[in-house]
Amino acid sequence: MPICLIRDVLDNKLVDSDGQNAGRVDGIVLELTEGGPPRVLCVEVSPITLGRRLNRRLGDWMARLDRRFGPERGVPYRIPITRVTGMGVDLRLDFRAEPTPIFAAERWLRERLSRIPGA
Amino acid sequence: MKPKQLLEITLGVFTSIGGFLEVGSMMTAAQAGADFGYQLLWAILLGTICLASLIEMSGRFAAVSGHTIADALRERFGLHFFIVPLVAMGVVSILLLAAELGGMCAALQIATAVAIRWWAMPAALLTWLLLWRGTFGMIEKGVSMLGLVTVVFGVAAILLAPDLSGVASGLVPSLPHEKAAHYWFLAVSILGAAIAPAVFYFYSSGGVEEKWDESHVATNRIVAWGGITFGGILSGAVLIVAVLTLQARGITIDHFDQAALMLLDPLHRIGFWGFVASLFIASFSAALEVALAIAYLIAQGLGWNWGEDLKPRDDARFSVSYTVAIFVGAILLVVGLDPLKLTLFTMALTSATLPIAVVPFLVLMNDDAYLGRYTNGYLSNAVVLFTVLVACVLAVVSIPLELAGG
Repeated sequence: MPICLIRDVLDNKLVDSDGQNAGRVDGIVLELTEGGPPRVLCVEVSPITLGRRLNRRLGDWMARLDRRFGPERGVPYRIPITRVTGMGVDLRLDFRAEPTPIFAAERWLRERLSRIPGA
Repeated sequence: MKPKQLLEITLGVFTSIGGFLEVGSMMTAAQAGADFGYQLLWAILLGTICLASLIEMSGRFAAVSGHTIADALRERFGLHFFIVPLVAMGVVSILLLAAELGGMCAALQIATAVAIRWWAMPAALLTWLLLWRGTFGMIEKGVSMLGLVTVVFGVAAILLAPDLSGVASGLVPSLPHEKAAHYWFLAVSILGAAIAPAVFYFYSSGGVEEKWDESHVATNRIVAWGGITFGGILSGAVLIVAVLTLQARGITIDHFDQAALMLLDPLHRIGFWGFVASLFIASFSAALEVALAIAYLIAQGLGWNWGEDLKPRDDARFSVSYTVAIFVGAILLVVGLDPLKLTLFTMALTSATLPIAVVPFLVLMNDDAYLGRYTNGYLSNAVVLFTVLVACVLAVVSIPLELAGG
């Protein structure tokens, strides 16, 4: 079955191995090979990629913000295409997204929310 | 269809009370009755048909595809397109949320004589607390039960024995004899109050929260049409009562207090408190719905975890979204925006932005990748498209005229 990258992959939802929503495909990375056709390397899930698609400056600003979260941050989070298993309307990941940067903002907020009663 | 599914009617009634009969519909209908008699009833009828169609589509979309409208908007149209309805609906929905909180405050002001702006934060806190602690089912069923108090308008309309030929002639659109700009402004406000995109976007999320599947398509049709007709009839009853109590005495509505007098004649003290309770509960449920709708739109567009049944710590970004929305809405009231003017203006603005929210949705409703054999028929496409375009054109023309004239 042919897959159209823009129609079937870009902006579609990712669901991880626990069934949690793990963001959307914000960008697709292709590799150009000498003499061969381009290959899909990975998908990006990141507010940095999202920002850059709208406006370069917005993306750079997102990257600066993201850098504060740790030494390896500040670049878009990439998932090798080999870790993306199912291709329906939603795309499936074969790992848990919880410990990855996809959930960084969620974890940061959760820590602060847990001090509010009822959370 | 299983009998148990009929209990889902509570989602329809909840959607209808909060989404249809809320501060916007109550005040636009009351003003229309006070200023133009039965002449604007057609706008309520048209709004009811259009909203019921949209709600039915939205529920069908959720049941068949398991996706919400916001999900599909981003997937199908891409980020650059998605950002347009996101921003347009985000802004209008925040104003709408402020208007609904204003409706709650107005009810509290009428009951206690403490000014609206003092009630803004307590009303916001109550709304937030219910979303923070409650579950979707609990909110939905609670609001549907309490919302039945709005039946008081129907009772009053029957007791006042309206002239049925007058009512019937109002159901047919006609040109105004005077104050043409105000007439059309009210017409678009009524349409905008009925067809709030936040409401049918909300409803698709409700369907997903309730884990609907294809077996719910028939139930959904009954729930959508039943629930929304219920809201439409009550909205019409508000207009009829306003004609017979307010217009008959030459009272026009510049403040919420004046509207509160409309049930005094037919029902005396019960009527007065019935109005206050209806205004509070209808606005409250609308505030809950709109706050959730804003959070759903953002969370689904960005692929976050979302769900009113999850504990806030399990969908932190979602919970923070509605929290921020509610308090931004409340701040607009604290700084002193007039809730009645805000309500009427927001309703007209909703009409003006309708095509942005509705046209892409109609495209999705005709996409068999999501709906298989359940795509829209020609008639429902035509009815909704026609209403939305008419509302938009009327809004673009009448908003400047109203601002210049009033």
